[in-house]
Amino acid sequence: MTLIRGENWRYVPMVVLSSNNAPIKFEAKAGQDSVSGQTLQGPVVDVERISLEFTKERDQLPVLADVSMTALQDQFVSITGPSGCGKSSLLRIIAGLHKATSGTVKFNGTEITQPRSEIAMIFQNFVLLPWRTALENVMFALSSKREYSEDEKRDKATKMLDHVGLKGFENVFPGELSGGMKQRVGIARALALEPEVLLMDEPFSSLDDLTAGLLRKEVYSLLINPSSSIQAVIMVSHNVEEVVELSDKVIVLSQRPAHVVGEVNITLPRPRDRKSPDFYTWMDKIYSLLA
Amino acid sequence: MTSFSLFEIFLDLAYSWTRMFIALLLSILFSLTVGILAARNKRAEAVIVPLLDVFQSIPILGFFPIVILGVIAIIPSQIGVDLSVILLIFTSLAWNITFGVYEAVKSIPHDYIELSLMPDVGSWRRITNLYIPASISRIVYNTETSWAVGLFYLISSEILTLGKSSYTVTHGIGVAIITFASANDWTGYTYSIISLLVAVVIWQFVFLREFALWSERYKFVEEPRGVRQDPLMRFYSWMTHKSISKLFLYSHSRGVTKFSSTFYRFKDGIKYSIVILLAIFIAFELGASWNLNIGFPTQIPTLASILSTEKNVIVSLAYSFVRIWYVYFFCVMVGVPLGIGVSLNSKLYDGLTPVIETIASVPAPALLPAIALVTHQGELVAAIIIFLGMIWYIVFNVMAGIRSLPAELFELRSVFHISRVQAWRDIYLPAAATAFVSGSIVAIGAAWNTLIVAEFFIVSGSTPITQVHAGIGKTIALATNQGDLLSLTLAVLSMTALIVTFNLVVWRRVYHYTTKRYAYNR
Repeated sequence: MTLIRGENWRYVPMVVLSSNNAPIKFEAKAGQDSVSGQTLQGPVVDVERISLEFTKERDQLPVLADVSMTALQDQFVSITGPSGCGKSSLLRIIAGLHKATSGTVKFNGTEITQPRSEIAMIFQNFVLLPWRTALENVMFALSSKREYSEDEKRDKATKMLDHVGLKGFENVFPGELSGGMKQRVGIARALALEPEVLLMDEPFSSLDDLTAGLLRKEVYSLLINPSSSIQAVIMVSHNVEEVVELSDKVIVLSQRPAHVVGEVNITLPRPRDRKSPDFYTWMDKIYSLLA
Repeated sequence: MTSFSLFEIFLDLAYSWTRMFIALLLSILFSLTVGILAARNKRAEAVIVPLLDVFQSIPILGFFPIVILGVIAIIPSQIGVDLSVILLIFTSLAWNITFGVYEAVKSIPHDYIELSLMPDVGSWRRITNLYIPASISRIVYNTETSWAVGLFYLISSEILTLGKSSYTVTHGIGVAIITFASANDWTGYTYSIISLLVAVVIWQFVFLREFALWSERYKFVEEPRGVRQDPLMRFYSWMTHKSISKLFLYSHSRGVTKFSSTFYRFKDGIKYSIVILLAIFIAFELGASWNLNIGFPTQIPTLASILSTEKNVIVSLAYSFVRIWYVYFFCVMVGVPLGIGVSLNSKLYDGLTPVIETIASVPAPALLPAIALVTHQGELVAAIIIFLGMIWYIVFNVMAGIRSLPAELFELRSVFHISRVQAWRDIYLPAAATAFVSGSIVAIGAAWNTLIVAEFFIVSGSTPITQVHAGIGKTIALATNQGDLLSLTLAVLSMTALIVTFNLVVWRRVYHYTTKRYAYNR
């Protein structure tokens, strides 16, 4: 089940997508996916040989070295690794916010060169606008959607807040919300865009343990369900427990300059019990890669 | 015609810098004594901290004529003149540095205090081995940030003493600038300005910065790197602090808060005004008994003369008030977009910050003769000087305010495909709001200080270089020139009353509202 790949491992795309983006029969790799077993599209997100270097005072500082990974249809993928290894940089490259030094990121076959409206993001520190109410914060995400009228945006945002469990908090300012509720607004804001890919940057690490645990329990079914627009979720996290609880696939990065030291497909059935012995076995697998 | 020599300019600079230096030394001595006392003694704290607050919020420059009259009455010689210049610079540095020492000593970790309370450690050793080292980084930091303000006071006071021949400063870069200007020697004038700029740059970027790096080792707690290394961030946190204390919102310990709340109650207001009036009365009496020929009235003014003078003072206050606010409007229109625009672009920010810092440290009064040469419209000259005195506070605060926000906030724009117009309306402008308000408070305060130079400017003889129709700065300057102590006192007191009331009634509310609504804290 576990594929450990060395530094020089290189992902070779197994399927070349046709330009019309039609579903193609796909031979799953060794780690057969537990969630989506049979008919698969090509990777929703395809990260190919990404390298990143910072230039600081004439020194070249390598951050990411030849990182490749994919997120398949309906997959919840986590990127984990030691702190400061460049996980968040990788996520921002996938989002189109940062430019990689070399390599490409593809979304359903097309290269990502700038932020796309099909890709939404949830931030570690929520990044809500303190001067806007919860509802207005969600509506803010819909600003660029000219096809909706102001009333439609309001309706959509209200529904989204209800969806994440914040009914009745529409007119509350973020300053008056707890951390967990703020992140719920963050999730609602991202979901309001009806994205196909959701990126999450340490979404639970600003929350206390109890709040984070509760939110984690809800988040998977909130994101991946038959009525959801989301095709794939990519989460950056340094918390192994959280990674095992949520992910279908875990990409483990090394210290700087980061490369992929392992890719783990977690086949535990959902809902996952954090106290089960199996859960610990999976956690150990990831810890052994991190060590 | 070159009547100047670079050596003389250098000599003038040396004079000015010596004054600054003495004022700085005095400020540091004062701050150590008073700051440590306030931090370690509850009763002293309850008196000192609110007093410092008041001192910080009044336009010191307005008091200068009174100070100089008083000092010369006691020491009627060149030393007296120099002393009053130094005293004025001292007042622009001391309160701020004292606050720094007070906070530094107050925030010494408790373990250290307990250690120092061991039986064989005497209070002198406690002061030299704990309190003073703990204060060093804040002293340096506050010196760095208030130096430009000190320079403004230096130039202004050197210039202001020129009005009357009985007490003039004979050497100093401010004197040189004005002398060249009034002799129409624009080459000399330009050289003086350039020399001043060079001195500022060397002092700012060589000495103060080295000094600041050296003082780092005296810190108990490491600040985040960004804050420590970015001079603008230092400036900003100082600014915010200063403007907050200006609003009497200072509340570092419960004792102080308790005192402040009672202090500003109505009946205490009366009590303190009685004390102030008594002090003025005593000053009058002293002046009369010395019978000096420098304009002290020999008898107590009548109620009628007080009322008619006050009427004029209020009219001129109204003029100045309107003047400051319309210039402020222009400052906002220029300063806010400039500040936000520069901060959004990292390259622009890194490149322009030192340039803006240097330009901003040129005291506006030094540029007045050149401005007056271009236009003879007194109103326009005044507006330009006030503008130059205000704009940087707004630009720097907005810049630092934007830079202190997390990068993620600016990623929002890309992630959610927000248009430029909407990004300014929904992200940048609200994000800059709190910094903008604290910048505005300090800017308006600074504007009142520039008035005394901006509204009426006389070098020698009887024709002023520039003057406005009416204004409190003009009233003060004229009263000083004519030795009219009654007008002078009433003008200064009324201006102070207006500023303090305005701070309490308007700014305080605006500040509370913006921090509540627009402060960015996750």
